[in-house]
Amino acid sequence: MNAPTEAYVALSGVLFAIGAMGVLTRRSAIMVFLSIELMLNAANLAIVAYARHWAGFDALAGLTGQTVVFIVLAVAAAEVAVGLGILVAIFRDRSSTDVDTLAEVRL
Amino acid sequence: MVTFTVLAVVMVVGALGVVLLKQPVHAALSLVGTLLALAVTYVTLEAHFLAAIQVIVYAGAIMVLFLFVLMLLNVKDIGPRRALPGVRWAAYATAVVLAAAVGVVAFWDGRPAPDPAVVSLHLQGGSAGGIGDALFGELLLAFHLVGVLLLTGVVGAVALVQRRAESTHGAPKGGGGPAPEGSTPLPGGRSAGALGSGGAR
Repeated sequence: MNAPTEAYVALSGVLFAIGAMGVLTRRSAIMVFLSIELMLNAANLAIVAYARHWAGFDALAGLTGQTVVFIVLAVAAAEVAVGLGILVAIFRDRSSTDVDTLAEVRL
Repeated sequence: MVTFTVLAVVMVVGALGVVLLKQPVHAALSLVGTLLALAVTYVTLEAHFLAAIQVIVYAGAIMVLFLFVLMLLNVKDIGPRRALPGVRWAAYATAVVLAAAVGVVAFWDGRPAPDPAVVSLHLQGGSAGGIGDALFGELLLAFHLVGVLLLTGVVGAVALVQRRAESTHGAPKGGGGPAPEGSTPLPGGRSAGALGSGGAR
Protein backbone atom coordinates (compact mmCIF):
# COMPACT_ATOMS: atom_id res chain seq x y z
CA MET A 1 0.00 0.00 0.00
CA ASN A 2 2.54 2.58 1.12
CA ALA A 3 5.18 3.51 -1.42
CA PRO A 4 8.71 2.52 -0.36
CA THR A 5 11.22 5.12 0.77
CA GLU A 6 13.32 4.49 -2.36
CA ALA A 7 10.47 5.78 -4.54
CA TYR A 8 10.24 9.02 -2.59
CA VAL A 9 13.99 9.53 -2.70
CA ALA A 10 14.02 8.89 -6.46
CA LEU A 11 11.21 11.42 -6.95
CA SER A 12 13.18 13.88 -4.84
CA GLY A 13 16.25 13.33 -7.03
CA VAL A 14 14.23 13.92 -10.20
CA LEU A 15 12.76 17.16 -8.83
CA PHE A 16 16.20 18.33 -7.72
CA ALA A 17 17.65 17.61 -11.18
CA ILE A 18 14.82 19.51 -12.87
CA GLY A 19 15.42 22.47 -10.54
CA ALA A 20 19.15 22.38 -11.28
CA MET A 21 18.31 22.38 -14.99
CA GLY A 22 16.24 25.50 -14.45
CA VAL A 23 19.08 27.22 -12.58
CA LEU A 24 21.48 26.45 -15.43
CA THR A 25 19.23 27.27 -18.39
CA ARG A 26 17.05 30.17 -17.26
CA ARG A 27 18.35 33.66 -17.93
CA SER A 28 16.05 35.78 -15.81
CA ALA A 29 17.20 35.94 -12.19
CA ILE A 30 13.65 35.51 -10.91
CA MET A 31 13.25 32.26 -12.82
CA VAL A 32 16.56 31.06 -11.41
CA PHE A 33 15.16 31.86 -7.98
CA LEU A 34 11.99 29.86 -8.67
CA SER A 35 14.11 26.89 -9.69
CA ILE A 36 16.07 27.17 -6.44
CA GLU A 37 12.78 26.97 -4.56
CA LEU A 38 12.05 23.77 -6.46
CA MET A 39 15.41 22.31 -5.38
CA LEU A 40 14.77 23.25 -1.74
CA ASN A 41 11.43 21.45 -1.82
CA ALA A 42 13.01 18.38 -3.38
CA ALA A 43 15.45 18.25 -0.48
CA ASN A 44 12.58 18.64 1.98
CA LEU A 45 10.78 15.71 0.38
CA ALA A 46 13.85 13.52 0.85
CA ILE A 47 14.15 14.55 4.51
CA VAL A 48 10.50 13.76 5.23
CA ALA A 49 10.78 10.39 3.46
CA TYR A 50 13.86 9.47 5.51
CA ALA A 51 12.12 10.66 8.66
CA ARG A 52 9.27 8.23 8.03
CA HIS A 53 11.76 5.46 7.34
CA TRP A 54 13.77 5.98 10.51
CA ALA A 55 10.68 6.45 12.64
CA GLY A 56 10.29 2.70 12.40
CA PHE A 57 13.49 2.23 14.39
CA ASP A 58 13.71 5.27 16.65
CA ALA A 59 10.80 7.18 18.12
CA LEU A 60 12.62 10.50 18.27
CA ALA A 61 14.27 10.36 14.84
CA GLY A 62 11.08 10.68 12.83
CA LEU A 63 9.76 13.76 14.57
CA THR A 64 13.20 15.36 14.65
CA GLY A 65 13.47 14.91 10.88
CA GLN A 66 10.12 16.59 10.34
CA THR A 67 11.21 19.44 12.60
CA VAL A 68 14.34 19.92 10.51
CA VAL A 69 12.06 20.42 7.49
CA PHE A 70 10.18 23.01 9.52
CA ILE A 71 13.43 24.92 10.12
CA VAL A 72 14.34 24.66 6.44
CA LEU A 73 10.99 26.26 5.64
CA ALA A 74 11.78 29.19 7.93
CA VAL A 75 15.19 29.65 6.34
CA ALA A 76 13.62 29.54 2.87
CA ALA A 77 11.14 32.23 3.87
CA ALA A 78 13.93 34.53 5.06
CA GLU A 79 15.92 33.79 1.91
CA VAL A 80 12.98 34.67 -0.34
CA ALA A 81 12.37 37.96 1.45
CA VAL A 82 15.97 39.13 1.15
CA GLY A 83 16.52 37.67 -2.33
CA LEU A 84 13.45 39.30 -3.83
CA GLY A 85 14.49 42.58 -2.19
CA ILE A 86 17.87 42.31 -3.90
CA LEU A 87 16.19 41.51 -7.22
CA VAL A 88 13.90 44.53 -6.94
CA ALA A 89 16.92 46.73 -6.17
CA ILE A 90 18.80 45.33 -9.18
CA PHE A 91 15.78 45.83 -11.41
CA ARG A 92 15.41 49.45 -10.33
CA ASP A 93 19.05 50.04 -11.09
CA ARG A 94 19.19 48.53 -14.58
CA SER A 95 15.63 47.58 -15.67
CA SER A 96 16.67 43.97 -16.25
CA THR A 97 17.41 40.87 -14.22
CA ASP A 98 19.30 38.99 -16.92
CA VAL A 99 21.92 37.02 -15.01
CA ASP A 100 24.32 37.06 -17.97
CA THR A 101 24.78 40.81 -17.67
CA LEU A 102 25.18 40.91 -13.89
CA ALA A 103 28.95 40.81 -13.64
CA GLU A 104 29.83 43.83 -11.48
CA VAL A 105 30.99 41.83 -8.49
CA ARG A 106 33.18 39.52 -10.51
CA LEU A 107 36.82 39.62 -9.43
CA MET B 1 1.38 3.15 -4.52
CA VAL B 2 -1.32 4.45 -6.88
CA THR B 3 -1.50 7.66 -4.85
CA PHE B 4 2.24 8.07 -5.01
CA THR B 5 2.29 7.53 -8.78
CA VAL B 6 -0.38 10.15 -9.40
CA LEU B 7 1.37 12.64 -7.10
CA ALA B 8 4.74 11.95 -8.71
CA VAL B 9 3.37 12.56 -12.20
CA VAL B 10 1.73 15.82 -11.10
CA MET B 11 4.90 17.02 -9.38
CA VAL B 12 7.24 16.17 -12.24
CA VAL B 13 4.94 17.80 -14.81
CA GLY B 14 4.70 20.89 -12.60
CA ALA B 15 8.45 21.02 -12.14
CA LEU B 16 9.01 20.73 -15.89
CA GLY B 17 6.53 23.58 -16.30
CA VAL B 18 8.62 25.72 -13.92
CA VAL B 19 11.70 25.12 -16.02
CA LEU B 20 10.26 25.17 -19.53
CA LEU B 21 7.30 27.58 -19.62
CA LYS B 22 8.07 30.88 -21.29
CA GLN B 23 5.80 33.17 -19.31
CA PRO B 24 7.19 33.78 -15.78
CA VAL B 25 3.71 33.95 -14.25
CA HIS B 26 2.81 30.60 -15.79
CA ALA B 27 6.00 29.11 -14.40
CA ALA B 28 5.22 30.49 -10.94
CA LEU B 29 1.70 29.05 -11.01
CA SER B 30 3.14 25.74 -12.14
CA LEU B 31 5.39 25.82 -9.07
CA VAL B 32 2.32 26.47 -6.91
CA GLY B 33 0.78 23.28 -8.31
CA THR B 34 3.95 21.36 -7.56
CA LEU B 35 4.03 22.67 -3.99
CA LEU B 36 0.40 21.71 -3.38
CA ALA B 37 1.06 18.20 -4.67
CA LEU B 38 4.09 18.09 -2.37
CA ALA B 39 1.83 18.98 0.56
CA VAL B 40 -0.39 16.01 -0.29
CA THR B 41 2.74 13.87 -0.47
CA TYR B 42 3.62 14.99 3.06
CA VAL B 43 0.21 13.72 4.16
CA THR B 44 0.98 10.30 2.68
CA LEU B 45 4.26 10.39 4.63
CA GLU B 46 2.36 11.04 7.88
CA ALA B 47 3.57 14.61 8.26
CA HIS B 48 0.25 16.36 8.64
CA PHE B 49 1.47 19.50 10.38
CA LEU B 50 4.16 19.95 7.75
CA ALA B 51 1.54 19.57 5.01
CA ALA B 52 -0.50 22.39 6.54
CA ILE B 53 2.60 24.56 6.92
CA GLN B 54 3.60 23.81 3.34
CA VAL B 55 0.26 25.07 2.04
CA ILE B 56 0.17 28.13 4.30
CA VAL B 57 3.78 29.28 4.12
CA TYR B 58 5.00 28.06 0.74
CA ALA B 59 1.98 27.95 -1.55
CA GLY B 60 0.43 30.84 0.32
CA ALA B 61 2.94 33.41 1.53
CA ILE B 62 6.10 32.76 -0.44
CA MET B 63 4.49 32.21 -3.83
CA VAL B 64 2.25 35.25 -3.41
CA LEU B 65 5.41 37.24 -2.72
CA PHE B 66 6.92 35.82 -5.91
CA LEU B 67 3.83 36.73 -7.92
CA PHE B 68 3.85 40.25 -6.48
CA VAL B 69 7.45 40.76 -7.56
CA LEU B 70 6.79 39.22 -10.99
CA MET B 71 3.94 41.64 -11.59
CA LEU B 72 5.96 44.53 -10.15
CA LEU B 73 9.02 43.94 -12.31
CA ASN B 74 7.15 42.93 -15.49
CA VAL B 75 9.84 40.40 -16.38
CA LYS B 76 10.11 39.94 -20.12
CA ASP B 77 10.18 36.68 -21.97
CA ILE B 78 13.84 35.93 -22.65
CA GLY B 79 14.76 32.62 -24.15
CA PRO B 80 18.08 30.87 -24.39
CA ARG B 81 20.79 32.67 -26.29
CA ARG B 82 22.03 29.81 -28.46
CA ALA B 83 19.70 27.16 -29.80
CA LEU B 84 20.99 23.61 -29.53
CA PRO B 85 17.71 21.70 -29.42
CA GLY B 86 19.01 18.16 -29.74
CA VAL B 87 21.76 18.61 -27.19
CA ARG B 88 19.44 20.36 -24.75
CA TRP B 89 16.87 17.59 -24.70
CA ALA B 90 19.51 14.92 -24.43
CA ALA B 91 20.98 16.76 -21.45
CA TYR B 92 17.58 17.08 -19.79
CA ALA B 93 16.80 13.38 -20.22
CA THR B 94 20.21 12.36 -18.96
CA ALA B 95 19.92 14.55 -15.88
CA VAL B 96 16.49 13.24 -14.90
CA VAL B 97 17.23 9.58 -15.54
CA LEU B 98 20.56 9.75 -13.72
CA ALA B 99 19.03 11.52 -10.76
CA ALA B 100 16.34 8.86 -10.43
CA ALA B 101 18.93 6.12 -10.74
CA VAL B 102 21.10 7.69 -8.06
CA GLY B 103 18.11 8.05 -5.78
CA VAL B 104 17.21 4.39 -6.11
CA VAL B 105 20.70 2.88 -6.08
CA ALA B 106 21.99 4.96 -3.18
CA PHE B 107 19.26 3.64 -0.93
CA TRP B 108 18.72 0.16 -2.35
CA ASP B 109 20.71 -1.98 0.04
CA GLY B 110 18.04 -4.51 0.92
CA ARG B 111 17.28 -3.26 4.40
CA PRO B 112 13.76 -4.18 5.46
CA ALA B 113 11.04 -1.62 5.28
CA PRO B 114 9.88 -0.51 8.72
CA ASP B 115 6.64 -1.76 10.13
CA PRO B 116 3.87 0.73 9.20
CA ALA B 117 2.17 0.32 12.57
CA VAL B 118 5.38 1.18 14.43
CA VAL B 119 5.98 4.15 12.14
CA SER B 120 2.49 5.51 12.76
CA LEU B 121 2.91 5.06 16.49
CA HIS B 122 6.26 6.86 16.59
CA LEU B 123 5.35 9.72 14.25
CA GLN B 124 2.06 10.48 16.04
CA GLY B 125 0.69 11.55 12.65
CA GLY B 126 3.27 14.34 12.47
CA SER B 127 1.26 16.39 14.95
CA ALA B 128 2.14 19.88 16.06
CA GLY B 129 2.71 18.63 19.59
CA GLY B 130 5.33 16.10 18.57
CA ILE B 131 7.09 18.61 16.32
CA GLY B 132 7.02 21.16 19.12
CA ASP B 133 8.65 18.66 21.48
CA ALA B 134 11.51 18.16 19.04
CA LEU B 135 11.75 21.87 18.21
CA PHE B 136 12.05 22.99 21.84
CA GLY B 137 14.09 19.98 22.89
CA GLU B 138 16.69 18.57 20.60
CA LEU B 139 16.69 21.44 18.08
CA LEU B 140 16.51 24.34 20.52
CA LEU B 141 19.76 25.91 19.26
CA ALA B 142 18.53 25.78 15.65
CA PHE B 143 15.28 27.37 16.77
CA HIS B 144 17.16 30.29 18.33
CA LEU B 145 19.38 30.69 15.30
CA VAL B 146 16.36 30.76 12.99
CA GLY B 147 14.92 33.54 15.12
CA VAL B 148 18.08 35.59 14.64
CA LEU B 149 18.03 34.78 10.92
CA LEU B 150 14.44 35.94 10.49
CA LEU B 151 15.19 39.19 12.30
CA THR B 152 18.21 39.70 10.04
CA GLY B 153 16.06 38.99 7.00
CA VAL B 154 13.42 41.53 7.98
CA VAL B 155 16.01 44.21 8.70
CA GLY B 156 17.82 43.42 5.44
CA ALA B 157 14.67 43.59 3.34
CA VAL B 158 13.69 46.91 4.87
CA ALA B 159 17.20 48.31 4.40
CA LEU B 160 17.24 47.22 0.74
CA VAL B 161 13.95 48.96 0.03
CA GLN B 162 14.60 52.08 2.09
CA ARG B 163 17.52 53.19 -0.06
CA ARG B 164 15.22 55.25 -2.29
CA ALA B 165 12.47 56.35 0.01
CA GLU B 166 10.88 58.65 -2.60
CA SER B 167 10.26 55.78 -5.03
CA THR B 168 6.64 54.68 -5.29
CA HIS B 169 7.66 51.05 -5.45
CA GLY B 170 8.90 51.12 -1.87
CA ALA B 171 5.63 50.31 -0.16
CA PRO B 172 4.89 46.67 -1.11
CA LYS B 173 8.28 45.32 -0.09
CA GLY B 174 7.82 46.60 3.46
CA GLY B 175 5.61 43.58 4.02
CA GLY B 176 8.25 41.32 2.50
CA GLY B 177 9.14 39.77 5.81
CA PRO B 178 7.90 36.25 6.36
CA ALA B 179 5.78 37.23 9.32
CA PRO B 180 3.93 40.44 8.47
CA GLU B 181 2.33 41.14 11.79
CA GLY B 182 0.22 44.20 12.36
CA SER B 183 -1.33 44.08 8.89
CA THR B 184 -4.80 44.92 10.12
CA PRO B 185 -6.63 46.91 7.45
CA LEU B 186 -7.13 50.49 8.44
CA PRO B 187 -10.25 52.42 7.44
CA GLY B 188 -9.83 54.17 4.14
CA GLY B 189 -7.99 51.32 2.42
CA ARG B 190 -4.53 52.42 3.61
CA SER B 191 -3.44 49.00 4.88
CA ALA B 192 -0.63 48.44 2.37
CA GLY B 193 0.73 51.96 2.72
CA ALA B 194 0.55 51.88 6.48
CA LEU B 195 2.47 48.61 6.54
CA GLY B 196 5.19 50.02 4.29
CA SER B 197 5.66 53.25 6.20
CA GLY B 198 5.68 51.36 9.48
CA GLY B 199 8.52 49.23 8.22
CA ALA B 200 10.53 52.17 6.91
CA ARG B 201 10.32 54.24 10.05
